[in-house]
Amino acid sequence: MPPSATFWADMSIEIGVDIGGTFTDVVCRRPGQPTQILKLPTTRDDPGQAVLAAVRRLDEMGALQGGQVSRFVHGTTVATNAVLQRQGARVGLLTTEGFRDVLEIGRQLRRALYEVCLHPETPGFLAPRAFRGEVAERIDAQGAVITPLDEAALVRTADELVALGAQAIAIVFLFAFLNPVHERRAAALLRQRHPDIAVSISSEVDPAFREYERTAVTAFDAYIKPIVDGYLDRLQGGLAQAGVAAPLQIMQSRGGLAGAAVARERPVRLFLSGPAAGVMGACNIGARNGVDNLISIDIGGTTCDIALIEQGAPTIRTEGAIDGYPVRVSMIDINPIGAGGGSIAWLDGAGGLRVGPRSAGSEPGPACYGRGGTAATVTDASLLLGYLDPGYFAAGSVALQKDLARAAIGNGVAKPLALTEAEAAQGIHRVLNSQMAEGIRAVSVRQGHDPRGFSLVALGGAGPLHAIALAEELGIRRILVPPHPGVLSAQGLLDATVEHEVTMAFGHALATLAATDLAQAYQGIDNRARSLMAREDLQAETCTVRHYADVCFVGQSHHLDVPVDLAGPDPIGAIYQTFLDTHDRINGHRFEAPARIVNLRTVHRAPEWPASGYSVQPAAGIKIEKAPRAVHLPGHDKAIEVAVLDRAAMTPGQTFLGPAIIEQADATTLLTSGWSALVAPSLTLILDQVRSTGLDEDDPH
Amino acid sequence: MTHIDPVTLEVLRNKLDGIANEMQSTLLRSSFSPIVKEGLDASACLFSTASETLAQSISVPIHLATLIPVIETFLTRFPLASLGPGDLLIMNDPYLGGTHLPDIAVAMPVMHRGKAIALAAAMTHHQDVGGMAPGSVPTNATEVFQEGVRIPPLKLRDGGVMNETFIAMMRQNVRMPDAFMGDLNAQIAACTVGARRLDEVAEKFGPELLQSAFSELLDRSEQMTRAALRAIPDGQYSYTDYLDNDGIELDRSILIKVMVQVRDGELTCSFEGTADQVRGPFNCVPSGTAAAALFAVRAITDPEIPTNGGCFRPVHLILPEGSLVNPKPPAPVNSRTATIKRITGCILGALKDVLPTRIPADSGGELLILSFGGQRQDGSTFVVGDLIASGSGASSDCDGVDMIETDATNCMNLPVEALELDAPIRVHHFGLSQGSGGAGQFRGGLGCRREYEILAGEVTLTYRGERHNHPAKGSQGGEPGALASARILRVAGGQEVILSKQVTTLYPGDRLCIETAGGGGYGAPAQRSIEARSDDLASGKVTAG
Repeated sequence: MPPSATFWADMSIEIGVDIGGTFTDVVCRRPGQPTQILKLPTTRDDPGQAVLAAVRRLDEMGALQGGQVSRFVHGTTVATNAVLQRQGARVGLLTTEGFRDVLEIGRQLRRALYEVCLHPETPGFLAPRAFRGEVAERIDAQGAVITPLDEAALVRTADELVALGAQAIAIVFLFAFLNPVHERRAAALLRQRHPDIAVSISSEVDPAFREYERTAVTAFDAYIKPIVDGYLDRLQGGLAQAGVAAPLQIMQSRGGLAGAAVARERPVRLFLSGPAAGVMGACNIGARNGVDNLISIDIGGTTCDIALIEQGAPTIRTEGAIDGYPVRVSMIDINPIGAGGGSIAWLDGAGGLRVGPRSAGSEPGPACYGRGGTAATVTDASLLLGYLDPGYFAAGSVALQKDLARAAIGNGVAKPLALTEAEAAQGIHRVLNSQMAEGIRAVSVRQGHDPRGFSLVALGGAGPLHAIALAEELGIRRILVPPHPGVLSAQGLLDATVEHEVTMAFGHALATLAATDLAQAYQGIDNRARSLMAREDLQAETCTVRHYADVCFVGQSHHLDVPVDLAGPDPIGAIYQTFLDTHDRINGHRFEAPARIVNLRTVHRAPEWPASGYSVQPAAGIKIEKAPRAVHLPGHDKAIEVAVLDRAAMTPGQTFLGPAIIEQADATTLLTSGWSALVAPSLTLILDQVRSTGLDEDDPH
Repeated sequence: MTHIDPVTLEVLRNKLDGIANEMQSTLLRSSFSPIVKEGLDASACLFSTASETLAQSISVPIHLATLIPVIETFLTRFPLASLGPGDLLIMNDPYLGGTHLPDIAVAMPVMHRGKAIALAAAMTHHQDVGGMAPGSVPTNATEVFQEGVRIPPLKLRDGGVMNETFIAMMRQNVRMPDAFMGDLNAQIAACTVGARRLDEVAEKFGPELLQSAFSELLDRSEQMTRAALRAIPDGQYSYTDYLDNDGIELDRSILIKVMVQVRDGELTCSFEGTADQVRGPFNCVPSGTAAAALFAVRAITDPEIPTNGGCFRPVHLILPEGSLVNPKPPAPVNSRTATIKRITGCILGALKDVLPTRIPADSGGELLILSFGGQRQDGSTFVVGDLIASGSGASSDCDGVDMIETDATNCMNLPVEALELDAPIRVHHFGLSQGSGGAGQFRGGLGCRREYEILAGEVTLTYRGERHNHPAKGSQGGEPGALASARILRVAGGQEVILSKQVTTLYPGDRLCIETAGGGGYGAPAQRSIEARSDDLASGKVTAG
């Protein structure tokens, strides 16, 4: 149902719940009232428990009183965790005769270049060899059947796999992306014979050439399907019991929502559910502040996730990875680097100071958490430098112990290097920041961008703490700090809208392609996307439709994602020109060689949810100024008294000059000299470089 | 020497690595040829003015340190003081420090306030540099002149003025001049990015501090490498292995013999006793042997040691002149990849008894190179290459990995669907070669079996295999892996066995069946656990009986 004026006039309540490794973040908003934010401990054994607990808590707080929950949007880690913890279903894999080992052989690459004692690099664990069966059938490279499907053999082989204990079946036949007839028939036979077994077929999960990549993603789909299915089933039941009538919506990896019923059928699209929501939140922060080109950095405990947002939209990649294995499904291009608050500072064999990639994670966590960690981490350094208030960290959920941080940094770093504790802590920050800056630069350069043309969006509890140092290092002059950087993923869930993508293989040289044939092909996938939308009760005419094609030069195997405008006077010519332009931007050169299309893609989006109608009023009755404290700022030898400001009391239009520390429940912003912070009407903090400090992070003097 | 604090040193190290990565990223992104874009056969480096590697970004280990002798040659021919802004150097001659002719090196002095403080360099495998065969890697070459154009150390650009004479000569002598220029421009772009960023770093931190950081970083990696090498018991460790043949004399195996001496934190590899240089293109110039030795050192030392020239200081090579590992011109060298892989295996093999938990049994170490060329039914021509791996050696705590790239190379195979979409060839089978892993407490990795059928036209097949005659040996009582094999089943009847290297014609209906080698096993087979045995049977990876 598209949102309407009357819809917004009632007391509709929207709830976004994002599950992270440590915290389950909740954002609850309703018209005319301040946005409510909750952080609950994640319940690892059954993550849905924390979601239902959040609803109970909101109810107890009175946040749901007199209203109706109109949207319930969820970012889930259940798909990812099933893979990381190897807790997916036992998959039986059926392949074309002669090809059962494709899943295990893969592309024969190894990731660890200098390793000699090797370990498997392909996801053979999804379906060990005994769980892989072959069936006589063959479709050729033109899509013609040359060996008919041996149905009796199929049934026999499937029965054997089920008898062995297979809980889900993946079917991958060669060239099924050109002609799915055998896969569909096989699936129908299996569903009839084994109605309780989940079935995934490659021509539906990933209809594109290259059998290993297609096999892997189809096997992953089957592996997580029973898990995701059971999880969403329990969650929907629990929400219904709690009186939440709104349909459950799930964030997909490419940044659009899907109703739970559709998401359950396509679980392989959920691997980046949570991180994608954060990037969508960052897009929305950009839109509300009129900034189009952004780099979002989400600094968590173990990683820093980097994503580029160009002209208001996140960069999408058509092939991603889970746990190092390829999964060919569209996702927001999020690049994790091994640097975060939990990153451990250590000394190498020659006494050099190194930071990460090992992390203390959330258990035991940094030394200052007092949970038994003794290694010096970045968070310990932040505490020692005075950036963090020990009594006001992660919404007060963890009381930090400065003496433990001091001991860890003193013993681990300062004493062996003959530095003071403050010098050591500053050193840890400088090293970490230099790594993150190089990581951000690498991500931008790889996509053909100069980071200086972008603004930073600082997410995660630690994002706003490091943002200025990173910006200075990268030559970036503006930073956006969202109202609630520590729960932006949960916020992003509510900023997103329903989106469905359907793809098909379409191998045609541009030179000989007729526009009518192209239009007809799109019509086929558009119909499928429309039927997905119809299942979400969304009318086709309210949705926007965007077409894309994967295009490459003839003879190349790597393609680029090119937008397609079928309505133009010469759609094929336009595809070619756009391809050349994109190629020029990403690869740095253009030449007029023949090109061809490999795949077609259609993306249907429901209307955006209006962002207005919500109060951005700051909480009343709080003083901005908190007690100042002694802080070791970058480039200063000695600690100086620095103003500490309470973000909750800030009102639009106010400007503050660094140095200052800006505190809020879910994050801390370090505003250094040479930078100003303006409170925007959206309550976003806009940090601008007002002058070059001449004393930036890496100045050795 | 300016004193440098440990924090600034680590910040600078991150920057140097970041610059090398940005150079590599620029190189891969801007290159034209598939061999760079998809094979990642290119690398970028920052060098000190003493030709020591400061930071290197590579995607394939065969590039490890191969630029070092090139930079040495450049600086001998063009002393540092003579280099100025706008200069660019170029060369590819294997006999002057290069690798093989398609690998062209470009270097640029990093100028700071008018003085060269370092060098930025990029090496790319060009798709074609002329010579007797398209692609410039003719398996039947008998001298380097047949392999393409030899470029001595030259100024590609002198004070900002491009060497148009050189470019005109090259364009006239390569098969794809536009691709050649595209890839060359990518190399120039990579060097330019590296030089600009390092100049900025010098501006910010001061050139004296930067030079101190360079020496300190090199010294520290050297110190850590020596400490790691000291952990290996001093001694002399020998090993031998073979290449099947040189592609010309098919019945003559080629001996590779290495004696690795470890003494007081230094490692010396002597190749006394290795076969004389061969007629075919499997000769390996010193830069290739150096890449093999340095790969072995990186593999046996702590991976946390930052890779730079300091790691290479304690490593020495003794390469007899006129031998396979130090040939005299004009011996052909284009197929030296197989040789480098085997040399790497020999150096590791020499140390496997003294480092039994760090070094596995021998790997198949076969990267089978296949090429099919012919005409499609519409008359257009095709050439498709297929690169097929073998099984890795088992180690002290786990089985070898089936079908995986090892040691100096890291190449992808060609998807069956990509091959069939491109050429009138059908693949009937692609699976693990059951029983091919060497038996042991831990089993060697399996090779594969792949079967092709020609559907139309006459197809020229080039087959370049290894391990047809000499298996991957086991370790600590483990058994050797299975040999590789290949045969052609003619549609007219009859079977032809391929002797490791062959060029022949296939006709419609003919089938090519290949099996790649298995890795060696580790530990006595009798020690294999009951669970592992039952897994072997369930998976069918070990054949019964």
